[in-house]
Amino acid sequence: MNLHRIITGIMMILKMVFRRRIVIIALLIIPIVFLTIVELTAPVRIIPFRLASLGNMIFINRPLKDIALVFFSVTSSGFLSSLLALNLVQIEIGVNRRLVICGYSPFEILLSNLLALSVLIISIALYVALLVSRFLSISHFMAFIAGLILIGFVYGCYGLATGSLIRGKLEGIFFIVMLANIDAGWLQNPMYYAEAHNNIIIRYLPAYFPSQSAIIAAFTDFSAIPARFYSILYGIGFLIMALFIYYNKMRIRK
Amino acid sequence: MVLLTVENISKKFGRNSVLRDVSFEMDQNMLYGIVGENGSGKTTLLKVIVGEWKPDRGSVSLTGRLGYCPQQTLLFSHLTVDEHFSYFAAAYRIDRVTLASRSNDLMDFFNFRKFRNEKVYELSGGTMQKLNLSLALLPQPDLLVLDEPYNGFDWDTYVHFWEYTGKLKKAGCSILVVAHLITEKERFDKVFNLVQGRLT
Repeated sequence: MNLHRIITGIMMILKMVFRRRIVIIALLIIPIVFLTIVELTAPVRIIPFRLASLGNMIFINRPLKDIALVFFSVTSSGFLSSLLALNLVQIEIGVNRRLVICGYSPFEILLSNLLALSVLIISIALYVALLVSRFLSISHFMAFIAGLILIGFVYGCYGLATGSLIRGKLEGIFFIVMLANIDAGWLQNPMYYAEAHNNIIIRYLPAYFPSQSAIIAAFTDFSAIPARFYSILYGIGFLIMALFIYYNKMRIRK
Repeated sequence: MVLLTVENISKKFGRNSVLRDVSFEMDQNMLYGIVGENGSGKTTLLKVIVGEWKPDRGSVSLTGRLGYCPQQTLLFSHLTVDEHFSYFAAAYRIDRVTLASRSNDLMDFFNFRKFRNEKVYELSGGTMQKLNLSLALLPQPDLLVLDEPYNGFDWDTYVHFWEYTGKLKKAGCSILVVAHLITEKERFDKVFNLVQGRLT
């Protein structure tokens, strides 16, 4: 493992990402579109709801619109991070293979991708948090940003694993959109969760802990540390999977 | 001194035997060619030699630094020429001072220095091919493996390519060129034919 190679890799990956205008446009526009649609369509009726990780006795009373805004900020952070990660791993696989033949290790390339992705995940989380704070007041702003970073981390690592496993771009996007849509975009919504049968299943999905962490920080004074801890564990699980698959795919036989 | 030993390499894709018991050795200061029709297994053989693919049987042993120029121009479309040299220099562990002098030499020799700040997607096919080749030459390899290296070259670049190859050979480098067509056989120390996965 060589630090100079990893730093060079990160710099080059970030340059490539920021030179793709369409990526930057998507990063800027998708959260605005999501949040504006919610702002324009969601009802303002106040409803009590429970958060799964806080126990059955604690009710939070907030307008439906606020819940939807926070929930969609989580969804858009996870979705964008996942797509970016998929793109980083898949798009230049042939040239990255050449770099491995020339001396890079597959770990160095994947680590460079992960660190470059971390910069992007933090930027997305900050941007989305600032955007959503224009629409509602967040109780614990920094902790809320941490929740968005965690969904980015979990879904980013899922994107790296998917990109390492699946060769086709369309198939990769399909896998990202499917999970992001069903898990982060639907099942983790507190309104759905509260009424779901067998909601234990939902607790095992990747967006559960990060979305709990973000929602707790947005609306309550409770601690989100357990949710953060399990989010990190979930992300690390995906990351180990990605490292294993990527290494086997990219290694050369010397 | 033997730089490359290829011993009884066989490779199958499904039921299709692409390489069958391929063996040869390469010494220092040698220029070898491998010719064959499309689909004869040339690229597969090179990918096995550089370690990209594992043979089903047999072994490859290589001493010294390897330079590999793939058939496709494998480049990052959104990085500039200079950035490619920096990225690949990190892979080869080449320091900054050496990188500056070698990359300038290569760009001057193949006449594409004026494009050093252009991104790859802005370059012509020929310039991309020059960069593709220059990245293989950057580490001053002991063995240079070239897959269809002059596809897309204009006449001047083709002449320069052979001039550079001569310089490398004099400096002790061995070169293995794989092509579907080799016109100037007298330049080569040995030319193999690859027919249905066998070297003749």
